[in-house]
Order: sequence, then structure tokens, then C-alpha cells
Amino acid sequence: MTYKVIGKRVKRVEDPRLLTGGALFVGDVNLPNMLHAAFFRSDYAHAKIKSIDTSRAKEIPGVVGVYTAEDMGEAWEPGPPLVSPPPTLEGVVFNSRRQVPLVKDKVKHAGEIIAVVVAESRYIAEDAVEEIWVDFEPLPAVTDLEKCLEQGHTLVHDDLDTNLAAHLVQKKGDYEEAKKGADLILKRKFKLDRGAAAALENRGIVVDWDQKNQHLMVWDATQSPIPIRNGMAARLGLRTHQVRVVAPFVGGGFGPKIMMFYAEEMVLPWLTMKLNRPVKWIEDRKENFYATTQEREQVQEVEMALTKEGKILGIKQKIIHDTGAFNPYGLTTPLNTQSHSMGAYDVQNYNSELFVVFTNKTIVTPVRGAGRPQGIYIVERMLDIASKELKLDPREIRRLNFIPKDAFPYNHEIIDQAFVELVLDSGNYLPAYEKALEKIEYDKFIKEEQPRLRAEGKYVGIGVVPFIETTGVGPYEGARVAVEPSGKISAATGVGTQGQSHMTSFAQIIAEELGVEVEDVSLVSGDTAEIHWGTGTFASRGAVVAGNAVLAAASDVRIKVLKLASKILETPEDELELEGGLVKVADIPDKSISLGELAVLANPFRGAVEPGTEPGLESTKYFGPAYGATAFGVHGMILEVDPATMMIKIHKYITVEDCGTMLNPLVVEGQIHGGVSMGIGNCYYEKLHYDDNGQLLNASLADYLIPTSAEMPPIEVYHENTPAPNNKLGTKGVGEAGAIPVPAAFAQALENALLEFDLEITETPLSPNRLYELLHKQED
Amino acid sequence: MKVEGEHLFSGTQQQVWDLFRDTEVMAAALPGTKKMELIGENTYEAVMNVRVGPVAGEFSGQLVISNEDHPKSYTMTVDGRGKPGFMKGVGDVILTDQGENQTLMAYTGEVQIGGKLAAVGQRLIDTVAKSIISQAFETLNNSLAERVTAEAEGREAEYQKSSESDYAASVAKDLIKNVLKRKDDEES
Repeated sequence: MTYKVIGKRVKRVEDPRLLTGGALFVGDVNLPNMLHAAFFRSDYAHAKIKSIDTSRAKEIPGVVGVYTAEDMGEAWEPGPPLVSPPPTLEGVVFNSRRQVPLVKDKVKHAGEIIAVVVAESRYIAEDAVEEIWVDFEPLPAVTDLEKCLEQGHTLVHDDLDTNLAAHLVQKKGDYEEAKKGADLILKRKFKLDRGAAAALENRGIVVDWDQKNQHLMVWDATQSPIPIRNGMAARLGLRTHQVRVVAPFVGGGFGPKIMMFYAEEMVLPWLTMKLNRPVKWIEDRKENFYATTQEREQVQEVEMALTKEGKILGIKQKIIHDTGAFNPYGLTTPLNTQSHSMGAYDVQNYNSELFVVFTNKTIVTPVRGAGRPQGIYIVERMLDIASKELKLDPREIRRLNFIPKDAFPYNHEIIDQAFVELVLDSGNYLPAYEKALEKIEYDKFIKEEQPRLRAEGKYVGIGVVPFIETTGVGPYEGARVAVEPSGKISAATGVGTQGQSHMTSFAQIIAEELGVEVEDVSLVSGDTAEIHWGTGTFASRGAVVAGNAVLAAASDVRIKVLKLASKILETPEDELELEGGLVKVADIPDKSISLGELAVLANPFRGAVEPGTEPGLESTKYFGPAYGATAFGVHGMILEVDPATMMIKIHKYITVEDCGTMLNPLVVEGQIHGGVSMGIGNCYYEKLHYDDNGQLLNASLADYLIPTSAEMPPIEVYHENTPAPNNKLGTKGVGEAGAIPVPAAFAQALENALLEFDLEITETPLSPNRLYELLHKQED
Repeated sequence: MKVEGEHLFSGTQQQVWDLFRDTEVMAAALPGTKKMELIGENTYEAVMNVRVGPVAGEFSGQLVISNEDHPKSYTMTVDGRGKPGFMKGVGDVILTDQGENQTLMAYTGEVQIGGKLAAVGQRLIDTVAKSIISQAFETLNNSLAERVTAEAEGREAEYQKSSESDYAASVAKDLIKNVLKRKDDEES
């Protein structure tokens, strides 16, 4: 289908506001009479609370109150289980333990909140926090993923006789049978470590209870305003219409901002209703390292059975996934790991056993990639190792195993994060892979460049890795589209924006459908007063689920416009066209009516409206797919290692993305750039170092390294288009894609650069220190 | 974190032993010590200001002496907490008579740190701890000399009191020395 506006490189309409300081963030919300909260957090990762003394804090002038769990009384209850285990899976063990607003008896991770101070200013509140004294009885911390399952080990939750949070097995075919025919059975153990999402804007919340109107107003830097509204109303015993949640501009979400409810989101609404004054809290960077959810820590034992030609006969896997101290987000992340452990390949036999464990560390919920990078990492690493063992070209082994074009929809026969069978809806993997090899000039590099550079004493290597990304899962999203009397379009969706360009991409869909300029569409995302139903921004699903809801609503408005215009212009609908904000009669340039005039006519002040019709040119529609749309991509890099310092320089980075129909290539490319940056962090820089006591040793941006422009290579983005068959737009998600394959491609390139050292990489993130250790271990 | 080291004192085993059990001397020697007193048998309570790079604040805690083998060895347990975090450590102290009025003190221990001290001070703590310990020992050795002299002269000993700012300056010097040393190592 040819589009006029969809798919064009339209510049972001939200940028002028963002770039000139005209965009509202939660931090900008300042209300008259507003109080400020600061939290007393535990330094200990695991400790019993013997007593709490807040008396000195309460004496400080300007302090309005200091509260502990006891003060919350009946209002004290743990957060809701956000995602339950899939009911479609049999034999699942799932021990639900959820975070609490204020710790009552035992601290389970460093940074947990024990008391809150409310004061006239944040300065006073922070000073008062320093005056709180808690008598702790420190306990040994649970930090080791493997040891914590041993009998008699210290327990995170004393009411469970185990640190096991969940256990399940997913099977496809019969691995044990398949492996009998194998020429090679590879076994490896992998260690994937923790990183932070480290959004530019930390979390923040402002709450304002209006006693006279019996209404709670909330500004929250969340990815999920509608469920926050629903949950807050339920917790506070209010009707949903008594609560309005606005997620204004949010400076990066990356997953953790869909966690709910954070302790602060449980405490602040209670405070504003108790004190009858607005209360504000903005997370500082140190708090962010302890209190905002993290991800990626897993230990995996993987077995792959192959023929000597390199055909995968099956994969067997044991995953130990760290969920931190609580598991409010259910099994989403490790299910994603399983869904991606067969990668883009036709694997007939799969046997995956998953153990999720509680540890005395910050809670784990999805972070951009959400379990997918771990799956892609292990399958790509195993193929690299297999190709070495079998003396095959790493490209050949991949070509041989790709799911062929005619095998779609391809059923992987396991349950995915959306609780439905993992069906890959569509794809055409080989051409995208070949395109990537061609763009990075793989042959030329191996045959000419690498030997030349090696002769100059340089260690330069290449890595090219394909990946899939399951995206666009349900349950549903909605959109409301309305023609204003001015002829401009108002639209709303519940999918909040954290930099995804919703205001541009969704406006393009509406502009396409209604024949208006993109600038004439004003879209609100993330305000529960504008739309009542929705789930949130997650799982790379905005363009698919919300995008198609926007299309459905805009199409419905188009039908209403045509129907009314047909009557007024006395012309059959099929002779009408929408262009330049007008409904025109084809071939008769003068015969037209503007959308604005139609909107006025559709909402008469007097006279009778025909029975069975609705006023206005407005529509609210929803879209929910049966199963997701699976995107594909290939990333390739050429990197150089300095053997003296172990520092890395990435010289070339190319990606080929197939996310189906692109709403706006500029936006897609921006997403890829951001994702790759995060992925590079996950390769060599961004590792959260916890010690055996559950202490985070690099909780500052001085020690936790985020790639800067100096570490970022120029990125070339190329596209393929295999439209998704199950949605009208043909879109597939791309928000997380950039981050997913990077550690796998990096490991391949690093091994290739250090070919003569025969290095085998089975962990991520690495660092110059770690690489030095690995190389010296080789020497010993 | 592992801490270990040794220091040579000019005094007999018994003199060094006594020195280390004198709260007045200890309080004077340890920088930032606001209070140190014996609150029970072999249990001391101390309040102390600690500064590690950008992390600073008051610590209070207890020090317990156990496994005494007079005058040769004992075990020391430290448990302190404050605004900047917490520290908890167990260490063994061994005093060896070297003859000629010389006693070698060797210590080895394991220290856990937490909170801001661990999160932000991590990179500096090793050097800072070593620097504080070695300076404290130097002061203690001076105190020992003064004590021995005063005893011989039949007068009250006057202990040199360490100032926090002097310590901070010395710690900074040690940090820089450490960095320069690393650089020299690389160049050589």
C-alpha cells in the first residue's frame, strides 16, 4: 500500500517544546502549599529492624511528619501482583512476594524504605532523614544465584522454605531423543550480569488530594498511567473517576517505569490524603541505583546438539534467573529469555528448565530488551562455538538454520510473555542477513582488511549476529480521535510517551486517514482524563497495538466525515476525497466543505439529532492482537582491541532492521541508535557490582559507566520490510531491538579480533579488567 | 575487604600491649575520634568522624576485644554505623618481641562496608584505610616514646593529639602517592 504520510521522514513535532524547555516533566510540577517527601532507606541488604526512632527528625522545624509502616495502619499493604504466571502453562511453581510501601520487620534489599519524612522543603526533609535512627540486626545476604537454592541457605523470605520464586519447564519436541543423532553435543555455562536502565530522568511523583472535590490528581513519571490510576483508586478505596493520573513528558522509561507500584507510589497518595496537602518526591540518582528496578542477571547452562554439517538438532537449557527481593512482574523477563533462546532458527527440539530465585538485591523487572538479549546471547554464542568446533564458517551455520521464508507463521510451541503460544507471525531472514554481510563488507574484511591490519600489529575483529524480537503483544490499546470545530484534530491514547515520538508517528497515521497536516493533529498520551482504557508503553508494542488503535479510530472518524459530507454535498461517498483539511468532490475543485464546518454541523445546538446517531466527529477504538508481531534484524560491528590497555574501539557498526511497515524511518533509526548505545553499555561498561553482602559498589555515575559519544561508533541503519500480517498497518515493534543482539555481536567480534588467543567468551558485560583477566587465564 | 599490615613499635611487648588498651591514647591517635570509653569488660564505645573522598560523617559503634593471649595476641571486633553507612570487621592482632626494645605488631582482618561508604567511597577506601592506620600507628609510636620517657622522668605523659585536618592532608598525600606510584609502575 502506498501512503502519503505514513512512512515519511517527518520531523518530530514534539521537539520544539522539548528543546526549548516548554515540555512539562513531573519535576516541573510545583503547586501552592506543596510539601516534599524524602525517604529513609536501609543501607543493609538484609537486616531485621529492632526499633525505629524518629523523635529527633520530628523536632526539626519545617518537618510536618515522619511516618513508618506502623503509622500506615490498615493502608499498609504490599503492591499488587502486576503480572501473574501464565495460566496456560502446566506445573508452574510460583511464589508471589511483593514489595511493600514501608518495611515493617525485615529489610530485603539495600535501598528499601523504612520511613518517610514530609517537610516544607526537600532540604529540610533530607536533613530530617539523617536524624532518623533505626536499630538493625544485620543478617547474611543472599546474593549467589546458584548457592541460594542449596538446602539450609539463608532465606530472603522467612515464610518460604526456599529462595525459589518460580520454577517451570518448557518443552518442544524431544531433545533427549534428538540428541542421539548428534555429531556434536556442546555444553557451556554462561553468566549474564546486572545493569541499570539509567534513564536521564529519574522517577518522580506529585500527588494532590482535593478534599472539596474528592479528587486525587497525580503526576507520575510512569510508562503506565492508566493501570496506575486503577491501582491507586483500588488501594485508596476511591472510584477510578476520582483519580486522574498524568504521565507528562517522561525522560526515558526503558522498562523500569512500568513497574508498579513502587513503594513511593504507594506512600505518597496516602500522605496527600492524610495531610490534605500536595506532596512531591523526585528520585535522586543515588536512590535510582537502589530503588529503581534492574535486569539481566542470569546463570545459564546450555547444551546444543548438532549434526556435523551444523544443523541444530536441539537445545537444552537451565536458566537461573535473579528476580531480586520480590517478583511483582511475574515471569515476563525469563519467559522472554526462553522465547529468544532458539533465536531466528528452526529448532525442532527444545527443553528449557527455569529457576527464578529471590536474592537480597534490587527488584528485577524488564529493562529494554527484557530477557531477550540473554536468549539471543546464548544461542548466538553456542553457534559461534559450534562453528569453531565443526570448522564451519559462522555464516554458513546460520544460513543453514534460519527459519525459511515459507515456514511462517512459525510456531515455536512454547508459551511467551503474553501467555499465548509463541508464533512468529512472518519473516524473511536470509535476505536481511545477506544484506548485513554485504553492507559491512564481511568478505573483504576477512580476506583483505584483517590480515593487513594484523600485519600492522592491530587486533581488529568482525561480528555479525541476527536476532528476532517478539513485539506488539496484547492485550489491547485504545485511541480516541476527534475533529475539533476548528478543523484541527485532537487525539489521545493511554500509551504514555518517554521519547518514542508518539506525537509524531501517531499523528502521521491520522493525517494519512483524514487528509490533514501532521501539525494539525494534537495527540495527548498518558493522561487518564483523555482516555479511560489502556495498559501502557512496554514490550515494543506502541506502533503495533496503539498504532493500529489510532488507525481504527481515525478510520471510523473518516467514515463519519464521509457520511455527513455526502449528505451535505449531495454526492455519493465514493466520489469524495479528504485532502488539505477539506472534503472534496473528485473532479469538482470548488465543491467542498472543511472538516471544521462538518464538526460544527455534527454537533448542532438546536434541532433534532437523528435517533441512533452520535454527535460529533469522534471515535474511540481498540486494537488487540491474537499474538505478537515478530521483528527481525542483524547487527554487525568491526572493533579493535588495544592489547596494552584492553580498551575497545568500535570502528564500524551496521544494522539491518525488519520491523515491517515503518511509520517514520527517522523515529525507527533514532530507536536503533538509542538501543545500540544501551547494548554497547551491556557489552563493556554497564555492570552493577554487588558484593557478597548485597552492597552495590558502584552506585554513582562516576563508577557505573554509561557509554558516552566517545564510545559510540557511527551507526548505519538499513531496512527490510516484511509487513506483519495480523495488523492493518503491518507494523512490528522496534523500541528494544537496538539493544538485543549487541553483546552477542560484540563477543563474536572480540573473539575474532583476538583469534590467536583462542578466547572463548561466555559472559557479559565484560570490561577492560575482565578481558585482561580472561586473556591471562588463557596464558596460565 | 581484607586489611592487613604490620608496624614496628619502639617498646616492649608489654608496653605496646598497654598502649593499645589505653582509651585516652587510642582516642588521641585515631583521627576524628570524638569519644572512646570502656563500657564493659573489654568493650569500648566510640564515636568518630570518618571521611572517605566525598563521603563523610559521624560513625558510632563498639569495639570488642576477645581471645586475649597476654601480651602476645588478641582479636578485635568492630561494629560501627553512621550516616555514611556501616562497617563491620574482625581482625587478629599479634605482637612479636623483636628484642632490643622493639615490638612488631601484625594485624590481619576482614572488613565489610556498606551504604554510601561502599557505593561511592569504594575506589578510595583501600588507600584511605591504609593511610589512616599507618598514621595512627605513627602517632601511637610517638605516644609510646613519650610515655616511656615520661615514666623515666617521673612525670605525667603528654600525648600529641592528632588533628583531623592533618590527617585529611596526609590521606590526600597518600592517595596522590598511590596514583603516581601506579603511573611509575606502568612507565617502568
